[in-house]
Amino acid sequence: MTEQALDTFPKLLQRNAERFADRPAIREKDLGIWQTWTWEQMLHEVRLLACGLAARGFKRGDTLAIIGDNRPRLYWGMAAAQCLGGVPVPAYQDAAAEEFQFLLEHASAKFVLAEDQEQVDKVLEVQERCPVLEEIIYDERRGLRNYDHTHMHDFEAIQAQGREFLEKNPGFFDEQVAMGKGSDTSIILYTSGTTGRPKGVVLSYDNMVITARHGVEFDSLTENEEVLAYLPMAWVGDHLFSYAQAYVAGFCVSCPESPATVMDDLREIGPTFFFAPPRIFENLLTQVHIRMDDTARIKQAAFHYFMGVARKVGPAILRGASVGLLDRIKYAVGYILVYGPLKDTMGMGRVRLAYTAGEAIGPDIFDFYRSLGINIKQLYGQTEAAVNITLQPDGEVYPDTVGRPAPEVEIRITDEGEVLYRSPGVFQCYHKNEEATREVKTEDGWVRTGDAGYFDANGHLKIIDRVKDVGRLNDGSMFAPKYIENKLKFFPHVREAVAFGHERDYCTVMINIDLEAVGNWAERRNIPYSSYQELAARPEVNDLVEESVARVNADLVEDEKLAPSRIQRFLILHKELDADDGELTRTRKVRRGFIADKYKEIVDALYGGRSSCHVETQVTYEDGRTGTLAGDLEIRDLSPASEKESFRKAS
Amino acid sequence: MSAQNNCGDVLLAVDNINMAFGGVKALEGVSFDIREGEIRAIIGPNGAGKSSMLNVINGFYHPQEGTITYKGETRHRMKPHLVAASGVARTFQNIALFKGMSTLDNIMTGRNTKMGCNVLWQALHFGPARNEEIRHREYVEYIIDFLEIQSIRNTQVGRLPYGMQKRVELGRALAAEPDLLLLDEPMAGMNVEEKEDMCRFALDVNEEFGTTIALIEHDMGVVMDISNRVVVLDYGKKIADGTPDEVRSNQDVIDAYLGVSHD
Amino acid sequence: MSIETIFFFETVVSGLMTGVMYALVALGFVLIFKASGLVNFAQGVMALFAALALYDFISPDGWVYALFGFTFPVWAGIILTIGVMIILAWLIERLMLQHLVKQEPIILFMASIGLAFVLEGVGDILFGSDVKPLDIGIPQGAWDWAFDHGFYVEKLDLYAAAVAAVLVTVLAVFFHSTRIGRALRAVADDHQAALSVGINLRTIWVIVWSVAGVVALVAGIMWGSKSGVQFSLSLIALKALPVLILGGFTSVPGAIIGGLIIGVGETLAAVYVGPYVGGAIENWFAYMLALVFLFFRPQGLFGERIIERV
Repeated sequence: MTEQALDTFPKLLQRNAERFADRPAIREKDLGIWQTWTWEQMLHEVRLLACGLAARGFKRGDTLAIIGDNRPRLYWGMAAAQCLGGVPVPAYQDAAAEEFQFLLEHASAKFVLAEDQEQVDKVLEVQERCPVLEEIIYDERRGLRNYDHTHMHDFEAIQAQGREFLEKNPGFFDEQVAMGKGSDTSIILYTSGTTGRPKGVVLSYDNMVITARHGVEFDSLTENEEVLAYLPMAWVGDHLFSYAQAYVAGFCVSCPESPATVMDDLREIGPTFFFAPPRIFENLLTQVHIRMDDTARIKQAAFHYFMGVARKVGPAILRGASVGLLDRIKYAVGYILVYGPLKDTMGMGRVRLAYTAGEAIGPDIFDFYRSLGINIKQLYGQTEAAVNITLQPDGEVYPDTVGRPAPEVEIRITDEGEVLYRSPGVFQCYHKNEEATREVKTEDGWVRTGDAGYFDANGHLKIIDRVKDVGRLNDGSMFAPKYIENKLKFFPHVREAVAFGHERDYCTVMINIDLEAVGNWAERRNIPYSSYQELAARPEVNDLVEESVARVNADLVEDEKLAPSRIQRFLILHKELDADDGELTRTRKVRRGFIADKYKEIVDALYGGRSSCHVETQVTYEDGRTGTLAGDLEIRDLSPASEKESFRKAS
Repeated sequence: MSAQNNCGDVLLAVDNINMAFGGVKALEGVSFDIREGEIRAIIGPNGAGKSSMLNVINGFYHPQEGTITYKGETRHRMKPHLVAASGVARTFQNIALFKGMSTLDNIMTGRNTKMGCNVLWQALHFGPARNEEIRHREYVEYIIDFLEIQSIRNTQVGRLPYGMQKRVELGRALAAEPDLLLLDEPMAGMNVEEKEDMCRFALDVNEEFGTTIALIEHDMGVVMDISNRVVVLDYGKKIADGTPDEVRSNQDVIDAYLGVSHD
Repeated sequence: MSIETIFFFETVVSGLMTGVMYALVALGFVLIFKASGLVNFAQGVMALFAALALYDFISPDGWVYALFGFTFPVWAGIILTIGVMIILAWLIERLMLQHLVKQEPIILFMASIGLAFVLEGVGDILFGSDVKPLDIGIPQGAWDWAFDHGFYVEKLDLYAAAVAAVLVTVLAVFFHSTRIGRALRAVADDHQAALSVGINLRTIWVIVWSVAGVVALVAGIMWGSKSGVQFSLSLIALKALPVLILGGFTSVPGAIIGGLIIGVGETLAAVYVGPYVGGAIENWFAYMLALVFLFFRPQGLFGERIIERV
């Protein structure tokens, strides 16, 4: 069969079982030992499961819902359903019973494959409201012995039925696989969606297989890669990196022992290809710092010295730029003493390629990994695009852009600044939701991302904000508040920031300092304070924040489109923004409109000429009482000249 | 999700136990039995003699009077390590783990009574001793998986949070494959989520391994939920014995818990 | 190399050998302390006792010859002495430890002082108190290879170091990866919990004291071969205390390193500082060193700091 005829995952599985017969396909740590299945063994397992499903009445077009942590058997469930021409629908393992019920009902799931008792209980709770649901299959039998087993089956029992079925219908499985074609639906992935009900994104085999194939070629992935599958199976990223690309390239995917052991498993597996949202990279870095604080002083000194060297020359070496001999020697010594061991403890000793996506990553964190020689790159993607919209090619990696269009992806920026794309990965539709489909997908196949962005001088896409949040300054130039706020929040002593500028002459910012970080900083400098309010009012703290604002400004003015949004005035708010006071959402997102109303006098002061402003604010204490905070806030101006001055000091 | 009534023969019976420390009577004429496969709760107000009762069963205390019949044999003054060898494992109210050792090593010590090789082979760490070690390690891994503590396998237990230590202690008791498991306030000091986990483990142990469990617990909700039968002690005397429902409606029990003065 | 440098190295080497001795005695302390929380003052006397017993099994001046007219070969003598030490451990458990369960550490310590006197007395009665040259066939004299290169190193010292290294390795493996080792560590950690998992405390104590007895035997052989079996052997127990302060009461590697530091330190001090302060410095230098050390690291070099959550 030619590559192009391998248009479904079941066909790729058959190909891999021949070509990579004895190579590992999937691993799982069970009872403390890594168990491995080769591609040939995996095909066998999937075949038995598929036949077992067929024996229980699973037909073409039926839906198999899957819920649980990353487990080989759940991945086999995906493949088995696809072999029979059915559609797997993975659900987030932490979904509440009601959320899961919505998915079961909406996707008309006929079978459920659940990991364990916890997940089975969820299904049983909502079973009555899902009339289409016929059978429940579970992987882990513990605690389920005394359950009613008329419509519930142990995974192995189903496989045993599959064995019998296969003996009676030897040609069945291969026929079913051969019937599949690229345009069939391969999977429905439900996106959580910030508002309203989740939407089921219908992706065809062509969507997934072609995107995966491009990704494999783009980064020259081979069957020798090692990947740890630890992100939710219901998330498109895991589906592409741990399933689709594994089938296309033939590499091995390992499942962690439990969600709590991921860091240990990472170290043991030593993946060569690693994907993580910025949060995980951040946590890893924090752990490194915590551990360093516990070690002997000499080790700390070595760490700091060599990290300094790495920061200076590491990214350049990774980029392939020329670096002086002395620096190279220092870097080599550092590699033996610090970077190598450090990478090993983080489980990144063998990482050849790492991706991060989902949200903006702090430039310091990004640089930390790159300076260690870890080729971490950013991508921009969506479920609706089968992930990849833009990718950063090797050697063209910048912290604040997300790269060039991925292979075969066309990108267009509308007049409003919204990013649209068209690609072979573009989803078919939202399941049973034509209205929503029409909203984001045009007749000729363009998809609206809802993100505002533009291409910079290098031809790299820069995402700045959600389109609906982007405003205009009075001079007509673009104003992207979240972009500015995020840049400020990358500084550890800035906890929250609220930027104003829409329909104003210039940009101003209200800042919340991080009480813990700034508190520590103040203690080290013997700056006395007794409360947040007092700390926030200290001139030293204002200096500290001014420095950060100046650095953000330096970044902003470098960019032609964002230069007009330079922050001209800022103040540190006298109280911490709090969800109890309605200033933040429960997920800690700033409610800009509410704050603008509540602190109208402060905002007016920011746009007036005064250098301070008096405030009185109602606050709600933790015990429910309310009180009043009063004080004078210092407002600082940043002139371009003073900025250069303070920026030079900072660097 | 209360456990089924799947109780069999009497596994352990205590008869007319009297026990005093100096002049203070801790237990007075206490008799009850524990049946195979059941979850048996021992409850009572503070100072009712619950822990003393557990210590008597496990051989830490020797009562002045009374007999203990275990698996049909009546025993007198049995040493704790022999009681352990006869299939009784326990946890402690204030966690008694080997704090300097890893989770894995702690649970491995629970296999102690199951290890047969003599000192010499052990010392040489070779031959049969080695194979034995591997076999036991497998079982211990099974326990680790069962209790979902893979992530702390190699962590020194002194560094673990309280709830986790309780779980490791349960693991060490389970590693002995006990016939009778004594749990001394397994949920004390835990938050709601940890309590739920612990309840689930207790029920799973009872169901999967068929282990008989005797537990002391303060949380009435937990006791009523998971136990088959409850014995109530107050001031060292038994004041009630029966199913959770019977005990709940017993006037003496209500009085004891409400602190009605004794005549 | 100048004569001074060579002399310096020779001093260090001889100090190291003294250190090995201290380390062996300290090792016995650590074993017993870990398992029962008892500071065993009698460890030095045990070394003396073991050496005396061995002497009597193999020497023509010994008891065995006097009674039966023959002596045992060295290897048989060593095995028999190990047997004696195990019986001794068993007796100690029976007659002493068993009755002291759950007592205060100070009472246990007093008991061990008593034990030291008893052993010394019994040894005196049984074996006599004169200096006995112990020869078990360890080659004596200078190590030729080093001598050819201008150094003087005792062969005996080399053997002592090698035997000590083997002993420590075996003990480390024993403690770390056998069931009994695990049980020993468990007992050291929490008696009650150890009982509840079916560990027999008394068996463990007999084993620990036997192991300590074997370690004492090794120390006794080495010291005895060098300077003869005599009462002063029991005094090296006192030197083990500063070693323990330095190394930490609960650490096997600590006992070794601590022993070496004290050994080298006091030999160097005796040679280079001694003349200026009127000699006898080796009698007190170790304690000074330990005192200074206490200021900076009270838990010892390798002492365990168990981190507990509250």
